[in-house]
Amino acid sequence: MLIDAHAHVGDSLFGVRQSVEDLLASMAEHDIVQAVLVPLRPSGYHLEPENDRIAAAVQAHPDRFAGFARVDPWQGEAALRELRRALDNLGLIGLYLHPFEEQFAANDEIVFPFVDLLRDRGLPLLLAGGYPVFSHPSQIGDLARQFPDVTIIATHGGQINISGLLLADATRMLRANPNVIMETSGIYREDFIEDTVNELGADRVVFGSNAPYMDQGFEAARIRLAHLDEATKDAIGGQNIRRLCRLPAPSPT
Amino acid sequence: MIIDSHTHADEAPGFGWFDPPETIIRLLDEAQIEQAIVMTYRDAPGPEEGVIEYIAEAVQRYPDRLIGYARMNPRYGDEAVELFDRAIRDYKMKGLKLHPVSYVMHPASEPTLALIRHAASLGAPILFHCGDEEFTLPLQIAEAAAAVPDATIILGHMGGYFHVRDAIRVAKRFPNIVLETSAMPYPRMLKEAVDALGAERILFASDGPGCDPTLEVEKVRRAGLSPDQEELLFRGNIHRILGGVIH
Repeated sequence: MLIDAHAHVGDSLFGVRQSVEDLLASMAEHDIVQAVLVPLRPSGYHLEPENDRIAAAVQAHPDRFAGFARVDPWQGEAALRELRRALDNLGLIGLYLHPFEEQFAANDEIVFPFVDLLRDRGLPLLLAGGYPVFSHPSQIGDLARQFPDVTIIATHGGQINISGLLLADATRMLRANPNVIMETSGIYREDFIEDTVNELGADRVVFGSNAPYMDQGFEAARIRLAHLDEATKDAIGGQNIRRLCRLPAPSPT
Repeated sequence: MIIDSHTHADEAPGFGWFDPPETIIRLLDEAQIEQAIVMTYRDAPGPEEGVIEYIAEAVQRYPDRLIGYARMNPRYGDEAVELFDRAIRDYKMKGLKLHPVSYVMHPASEPTLALIRHAASLGAPILFHCGDEEFTLPLQIAEAAAAVPDATIILGHMGGYFHVRDAIRVAKRFPNIVLETSAMPYPRMLKEAVDALGAERILFASDGPGCDPTLEVEKVRRAGLSPDQEELLFRGNIHRILGGVIH
């Protein structure tokens, strides 16, 4: 039984798409009981309809889904209004930022008002982590250091490098910032998940798929095949994100 | 039967690396992989002696399971070429591994081409680390493939996270390029590569023990290939390539 902390629905500007029905079918196939939904970047400039789409999916399947809002910090005051609308009116329970797709540095001052609002509400930030130039582990750490009471979930383990050149940076960032949790989609490498759990504890890791960019079934196998005991796999596979987002117990499928 | 075309064994306390051959053997057993190509993390020649001998001894310890590649540093010029020659002729290794980040040199630099030419003369394949870092991009390595058309150039990780389509593009352009699947996170890109190039041009590999061989096998199984195509990735292609090595 897994909970996916990072799944998308919608049509992406970048050529992938996933409907609510497709996602539910994939979840059923891979024994994933719940998912945190986040918007894709649509072909239009506007994220408001995407936040509405996430809210509608959550309303239709409240025992299956929770939702995070997505905004573009470059839109400034308008984006801050949109985040308030998503949290206050749409029932979304966190913020998703993608520094690479929206082209801002994760630690840029333009991000701060949004994280301030999350701090005031006690809500988490899901941050697309490890992308060149925009969300290097040191940039994630620099943001986390300035908002120690905001939980930041960094996707891809906060590092994307197939030589392992960023493993040391990501580990240093996680050690220095107990408010950062790493998400496991597409992660290089399996032993980084195992080493992080063993050094920093099972509560620092959550399963996420980044579907449909990544393959939900393959990402689920990444957790199921990890060289960790079952209690640890339960924690990173679902219990951590359920606690963090106060997800309801799912009804039987 | 499965042959894993890219794994590691090395013990280098100065780097904090301790992966004796037993570590990868245990993971291969778990994944039900019969044989694996194994190489060090360190280059030879280098500051420490015995890098080539380390792999030779690992293969000697597990002759039915492990096949050796020599991981070299082209900056050593003739010394590197001579050491590689001994690795093939004396230690019966089967290929050359190059990771340009570890010696910071363009993959089509003249000293690198000298090693590649020598490998080609022995029928030995050249496995490049090929990801998103400088000196390892598909288009950079393609210059080496163009310069030595009779060399079999394997793009390990097939372009990493952001350069998979570049890896497919250069493999289309240069018939001596072969792609290798390890660590690349997208099962669907395996299908895309097979459709674009033919299953004869793709090798299964895990990059274990850091990456889990069982999970890497699962990635190929999830790619939507036919049983015949899977057989080529898992065994047939590397078997054919290694059959051409002249000791």
